[in-house]
Amino acid sequence: MKKRPSFQFNGLTLLKWLIYLFFLVFLLVPLFSILLVSFTGEPVNIFGSLTSSKVFSSTLNKLSNMSLDAYASVVKEGGSYFDALVNSLKLATGVAVLVTLVVLPIAYAFARTTMPFKPFFAALCTIPLVMPTFISSHAFVLMFGKTGWVTHLYQSLGGEGVLFDVQSMLGIVLVQVFFFFPYALWPMVAAFKISDVTLEEASQNLGAKSWYTFCRVTLPLAMPGIVSSMLLIFTVSFSDFGTPIILAPKDLNLIVVEAYREIAGFFNWAGSAVLTVVMLLVAAFFFWLQRLVIKGKEYGTISGKPTKQKLNSHKGVVSALTVYTFLVMLVPTLAMGSIFLSSIATTWGHHALPDGYTLEHYKTIFSSSGKNIWNSMVLAAGTLVLSVIIATFVSYFVVRRGSAGLDYVSSIPLIVPGIALGIALIQTFNTAPLHLTGTALLLIVAYTIRRMPYMIRSTMSSMMAIRKDIEEAAVSLGASSLLAAITVIGPLLFPGIAAGAILVFVTVIKETSISILLAPSDWAPMSLAVFQNLLRGEYYTACAMAILIIVIVIVLQALAKKLTKDQLY
Amino acid sequence: MGSVRIEHLSKVFNGNTALEDVNLEIREGEFFALLGPSGCGKTTTMRCIAGFETPTSGNIFIGDRLVNDVPANQRNCGMVFQSYALFPHLTVFENVAYGLNIRRFYQGGLGTKLATIAHMLNRRLGKVDRVTEQKVRDALDFVELGQLADRLPSELSGGQQQRVALARALVMEPAVLLMDEPLSNLDKKLRNVMRVTIRRIQQKVGITTIFVTHDQEEAMSMADRVAVMQKGRLVQVDTPTALYSNPVSTFVADFVGSSNILKGAAKEVNESGETVIQLAGNQQLRSAFPAKQKDVEVMIRPESIRLFAGEAPANESNILDGTIELSTYLGPTIRYDVKVGELRFEVDTVFEAGSPILPSGTPVKLQIDPNRVVVL
Repeated sequence: MKKRPSFQFNGLTLLKWLIYLFFLVFLLVPLFSILLVSFTGEPVNIFGSLTSSKVFSSTLNKLSNMSLDAYASVVKEGGSYFDALVNSLKLATGVAVLVTLVVLPIAYAFARTTMPFKPFFAALCTIPLVMPTFISSHAFVLMFGKTGWVTHLYQSLGGEGVLFDVQSMLGIVLVQVFFFFPYALWPMVAAFKISDVTLEEASQNLGAKSWYTFCRVTLPLAMPGIVSSMLLIFTVSFSDFGTPIILAPKDLNLIVVEAYREIAGFFNWAGSAVLTVVMLLVAAFFFWLQRLVIKGKEYGTISGKPTKQKLNSHKGVVSALTVYTFLVMLVPTLAMGSIFLSSIATTWGHHALPDGYTLEHYKTIFSSSGKNIWNSMVLAAGTLVLSVIIATFVSYFVVRRGSAGLDYVSSIPLIVPGIALGIALIQTFNTAPLHLTGTALLLIVAYTIRRMPYMIRSTMSSMMAIRKDIEEAAVSLGASSLLAAITVIGPLLFPGIAAGAILVFVTVIKETSISILLAPSDWAPMSLAVFQNLLRGEYYTACAMAILIIVIVIVLQALAKKLTKDQLY
Repeated sequence: MGSVRIEHLSKVFNGNTALEDVNLEIREGEFFALLGPSGCGKTTTMRCIAGFETPTSGNIFIGDRLVNDVPANQRNCGMVFQSYALFPHLTVFENVAYGLNIRRFYQGGLGTKLATIAHMLNRRLGKVDRVTEQKVRDALDFVELGQLADRLPSELSGGQQQRVALARALVMEPAVLLMDEPLSNLDKKLRNVMRVTIRRIQQKVGITTIFVTHDQEEAMSMADRVAVMQKGRLVQVDTPTALYSNPVSTFVADFVGSSNILKGAAKEVNESGETVIQLAGNQQLRSAFPAKQKDVEVMIRPESIRLFAGEAPANESNILDGTIELSTYLGPTIRYDVKVGELRFEVDTVFEAGSPILPSGTPVKLQIDPNRVVVL
């Protein structure tokens, strides 16, 4: 006789379903809802349909009017959405190609040469990562704008007008190239390190010259890694909101800006929904493409044993690469310097240097924008708590209980651009029964979901390091699974979780797109304050606040790094 | 309370049968070994007893209590893991106190619960109560680790970690102690020491102990009784001596010690009640064991064969003529590979200082007591 499998309803099972419910309510339903809206052209209230029969019938009515009308503007040449999509694709492609070209020599220098100052350069590489892109964009205005200090230098050297127009496609491309290159650098360094050095030696042994070996052996071997990081840059550039919102001129349509304007300016649900769906599809497609390439790469490197590689120490090559690397890293460094100088300037723009120096702007932000700082801290702390709880238990279910479903659901945010998530959430929670738009709670949930895949990956790797028998030992000593998780697994995971949590805090403080879309005025965080100050023309206070953000980010990142290094066991 | 009874236990993992109709009765206070090669189901059996695996069918009793539906944390089974599974973030003292704290958590009121959890999460918050403190100290003294109470597991040697794991399980006064390959992570010398230590502790406490091992020497030297398993089934459950001298199958004979196994045919039962067995090459052997069918296998342990360089004593049966093919010196014994017609025998003799090791090619006589010729 077969025993019927009994359904065990203990604390852990309940938790698992609660987490599923969270993702269902705040991720899957909003995305589905925005898909419906893109066809109906009118807001759809899914949760309302479940609770009220009146809403339900009106929803059915809307659904019966589904059409592809709204998509016409996307596919029709000359339509504004079509332009926006094409421009965004052009931008992302250009940035991806340029970044690859710019980074290729640097990656080679890091991986394969005796370039000096490698740790120093690696430290400089973190500068682009601590600056939110809209602040970097403003830095470029401070440098290359009509009254920028680089422009002043250029004119004093006899140049006419400006070096280039910052408020243009070119400006956006340059900012993204100089601030996204670290995302591509480290994967490429790894790709160069991994390629099989014996193949290169074989090539040289057969009489090939060094440059020939590089072009025909080294480069092709590193190719999967290079292509994969190129695709990553494409996705990052495509979904970036901070740069275009500051630098895009009126006549340049980009899909993220267009979507933002439709929702924030005109409350055009249909338009923003269509743009969101298009954004999602593009991001998902390139994410899938990148996965595909990485898969091939894993297959290809099986033969590449991590043998000790001979580093290129050719004097000419090394010094050329060193100078080049320094020049590339100099740009973001100068950009950060410009923001700092602006934050302590009385006025700046008449000459290459500020007219005078003052700490007045810092006083201003602490007196008039203290509320924003406080908001940021509360929102970041809330996100941190929610992320830690969800990520810890999701990792637990995935690693220990083999829950593939949760793994899958929690990685969906990877392909959802911030603006798209924001629009989906606003639409879904705009009316009763779950009227959350404009509340701090929805903002926290949005931040949490956005950061979730990264947080889960970091907790999951520390979870995998804990052997299963440790948990079983606790159970055999009388602890329930939940109690074992709290008293044994929890403390063992703490360093990994803490480091991940700090990085969540950091992203919330940096986050732009979601803050700008979702934050109500009385919950405006620091990033939104900077953004609004920039729009209002209060550049100096914006810079002071930006510096504050950068300092907080640097301090917290250093702390996270220390935590992961100090793992006790 | 400490007996364990297993009835018709089966376990199927995704269509693969890991255990098939296992029946076992382990007596109170017994030191019981589950022995077998890897994949034979011994660990699965133990994990079913501990509650980490749910049987596909069958019943498990601990004492008189049917524990099939009792969760692992309420079975009162102490467990020592192969890798010891000490909590790396807790000191030796806290490791041993863990189970007592958990018990206190479940038994106490809300205040006690909160205080206990707080203390378990951060040792600076609160203290363990005096009873717990005393119990832990006693347990640590018992395994002679009292002075290492404040160390972290990573600061201990393998043998010390093993004893902490033992103390951690024993302090709970479990009904049954389960040990999964307890000695496999230790080097050979330490293994011999721990073998004695574990046996001594077990006898002192008198706790029913089940331990899993793939090492027949370990099982034979430590256990009161041994269950040999093969492909998810129990093959033989017996005392070590019975297992060794009277194995039920070639598998058991081969698995517990080395043996000569020969194919033959039972011919007749002679006047003194012995079975006469016809071997290949027209050789005959008499055995004190009855044959169940005509085609049989006989098993003779290498050390039960007597070897004579000259004449064998008269009026003894089972005398064979052979030639030494290879002699191997093994320290306390000498292993001779002897060719008898078409047959080959392994013979172990005690090495005595002064007496020579016979070279290859020496003609010898072998004599085997019919009581030692086991018909399988």
